[in-house]
Amino acid sequence: MTKPLVSVDALEVHYPLGRSLLGTPPVLKALSGITLDIPQGSFFGLVGESGSGKTTLGRAILKAAPISVGSIGFEDGEVSLDIGTMSKAAEKDFRKRAQLIFQDPYAALSPRMTVRDIIAEPLEVMGLTKNREETDARVREIAAKCRLNLEHLRRFPHAFSGGQRQRISIARALVSGPKFVVADESVAALDVSIQADILNLLKSLQSELDLTFLFISHDLSVVAHVCDTVAVMYLGTIVETAPSRELFRMPRHPYTRALLSAIPSLDPDAKPSNLKLEGDIPSPADPPKGCRFHTRCPFAQAKCRTDVPVLKDAGDGAQVACHYWQASLF
Amino acid sequence: MSALISVKNLGVKFRTDEGLITAIDDVSFDIAPGQVLGLVGESGSGKSVTAKALMQLNGDNTVYGDESRITLNIPEEPPLEVLSLKREKDMRAIRGGSISMIFQEPMASFAPAITVGKQMVEQLQIHTSLSKREARDLSIEMLTRVGISEPASRFDQYVFEFSGGMRQRAMIAMALSTKPKLLIADEPTTALDVTIQAQVIDLMKDLVGEFGMGILFITHDLGVIAQTADEVAVMYLGKLVEKGPVRDVIRNPAHPYTRGLLKALPQLDDLDAPLVPVAGDIPSPLDRPPGCVFHTRCDQSMLGICDKMVPAVSTISDGHEASCFALEDQS
Repeated sequence: MTKPLVSVDALEVHYPLGRSLLGTPPVLKALSGITLDIPQGSFFGLVGESGSGKTTLGRAILKAAPISVGSIGFEDGEVSLDIGTMSKAAEKDFRKRAQLIFQDPYAALSPRMTVRDIIAEPLEVMGLTKNREETDARVREIAAKCRLNLEHLRRFPHAFSGGQRQRISIARALVSGPKFVVADESVAALDVSIQADILNLLKSLQSELDLTFLFISHDLSVVAHVCDTVAVMYLGTIVETAPSRELFRMPRHPYTRALLSAIPSLDPDAKPSNLKLEGDIPSPADPPKGCRFHTRCPFAQAKCRTDVPVLKDAGDGAQVACHYWQASLF
Repeated sequence: MSALISVKNLGVKFRTDEGLITAIDDVSFDIAPGQVLGLVGESGSGKSVTAKALMQLNGDNTVYGDESRITLNIPEEPPLEVLSLKREKDMRAIRGGSISMIFQEPMASFAPAITVGKQMVEQLQIHTSLSKREARDLSIEMLTRVGISEPASRFDQYVFEFSGGMRQRAMIAMALSTKPKLLIADEPTTALDVTIQAQVIDLMKDLVGEFGMGILFITHDLGVIAQTADEVAVMYLGKLVEKGPVRDVIRNPAHPYTRGLLKALPQLDDLDAPLVPVAGDIPSPLDRPPGCVFHTRCDQSMLGICDKMVPAVSTISDGHEASCFALEDQS
């Protein structure tokens, strides 16, 4: 077992909901009780519906969301940081070690900067290079790795298609030499024909630059293809984690199974699944008691309405938070 | 059975500062009542422009080709040439009446400061002779039909109070309340989660059965097409490169572009299969490649043929057609 690069322990992220005159103000618990290890060198997938807290978790690890309870540790062999309590100096160092690739390559790039300046900006802001020659050399090196045409560095982003823009965003994220990258829905805005290209690029960059990815996506078939471990989130909690292959061979949590069966099959004669979810994800401001999934779960029983299930080992490296996952398989 | 809507040799160009841009080139298809035609393609392939042409919703700088004909055959009414309607007033009877459209982003399609119910009643009063009371009852009935709980109280709410899935349902309810003969669904499930997408697809299938309307279903997701459409048309850079019954096209794709799209799709039943992207990017409509529009990205492109001449339509099997020189050689 490789050492975890990121270890999240009992993390909760709270956002205040207005003020109250008496007592404590109400809070929205965007994440509750998240415990998770991201091993070094892994391609870790995080899936769930919108509102499940995927992005918040990614942001918390990058110290871009408030860590209300619990802790997040980051250990890459050179430094060991407690992300919640680290000093300003440590945070500065952390910024070059952990980076984010955004979803929308159209919104993420400034239209008034050349591609070269966009990619060079992190180097200049973090003061990682001494002079312009060194910056240029570094920009060209990373641009080549991201399969960007070096002649394009002088152009502006509007001249590029979605796939090329996403390669520019990736180059910008990787230019500071991070060890850990959060890719938040990085292929969701792309066409399938381009999506495969970007996924292949991320995979090859991972082995070439020894990166660890946290790959956030709502698309299970994409996650199945690129990730080695997957965590499934629902309403701010993790309901199941497993090695990818195991998760797709035998999804254990009823929610994971419902998600998988909702993917439209390419076979026009495929039998419709009998495991269909009704309704929407409940509001995180007022989550259901007990198991948060019980309002939509076809297998819910009395215990699910009162007792919160915890993540337990379920064989073959999988962990599942469900009282009745074994019974629900039949 | 005659087609509900018949599109023949549709050509659309846009006048811009850079000159005339070809958006759609010689596109023909028919949709019969009760039939779902899926239109797939990448962004920039012209799917939405085609859909908007059916209601003349493209901007003022649009130039339709001389050969272009869009014929709407409503049963028991004389055939209507959509493109010969010049006045906005004449189009109004079609828009939202005989043809309804649902859009990708339901939040942007409802007015934010008017209640959902009021918007539903308003369009019913434009297109039908119902009284306000009857329009209200019908709207609430439609909201019930699409599975919105407590429709009477939802009726008086604003769109921001609805969740994403509910907004899309409300939009479907609104589009169907005038009993359109043709429904244009432009990426109706793209902004939704898979679980909600599955609900909306089921709902649309039920409603086709019930109302017997024709649907033009636009999406970039071949899985969604496989689950909803009877016929599929694949579009690339303003051209229909392949069309046919959904089973034939997905199981036996004839055009290299269709094959490329299918290969680029991550499959859940074979996790070891490599993801093969379609090489390169879709060219800008400003410099459309000569000859076959796909030749710049095609791995079977033949020098001197594909970059010079436009391929003719080859018939693969009954109703299954594709335009590619590789197919012409075989026949």
